[in-house]
Amino acid sequence: MTSHVGLMVLFALFVSIVFATLMRDEPRDQLRLGARLFAGFVGGGILAGWLLYPLPL
Amino acid sequence: MRATAADRAASSANAYLICAVAWAVPGGGHLWQGRIQKGLVFLVTLPLMFVCGLWLEGRLFPFELTQPLVALAAFADIGMGVPYFIAKAMGAGTGRVIAATYEYGNSFLIVAGLLNMLVVLDAFDIAQGRK
Repeated sequence: MTSHVGLMVLFALFVSIVFATLMRDEPRDQLRLGARLFAGFVGGGILAGWLLYPLPL
Repeated sequence: MRATAADRAASSANAYLICAVAWAVPGGGHLWQGRIQKGLVFLVTLPLMFVCGLWLEGRLFPFELTQPLVALAAFADIGMGVPYFIAKAMGAGTGRVIAATYEYGNSFLIVAGLLNMLVVLDAFDIAQGRK
């Protein structure tokens, strides 16, 4: 659980829940936006990790 | 019927009181205004995120104006409200710099405080009738 990826996923989960709850009023919309945000955060984090892999050059 | 200046002043004072409650108790402002579902989500999620930050051995930063970044982190931490003061009173949040999860803990603590500030602004907007 305390691996880098595990903590990144946990962080993304918390932030997605709060943003989705803030930005949408209906539970169904909140769930949809939360899922999209979560996927974006996790996918973006993994992508950024791969892009940064060669650094420092 | 037009709202009088006294009504507007009372409404404004109430909005600031709601903000104070929303800051002190995450989700408290929403619960007060009848947004039960949102309030409960914030009431559970934000303190849980804060506790995770403490569990990951993050630090509750002190206000040191000589170090602006530390002062900004302290400002973000205190955005959490009452849980921040409970943690301080319990001696939690001293931070262990050599822990592998130290920076993660800091991120959790700081972002939990900042998210609660956003929640306070949302509660203020609701109190002003904008949402």
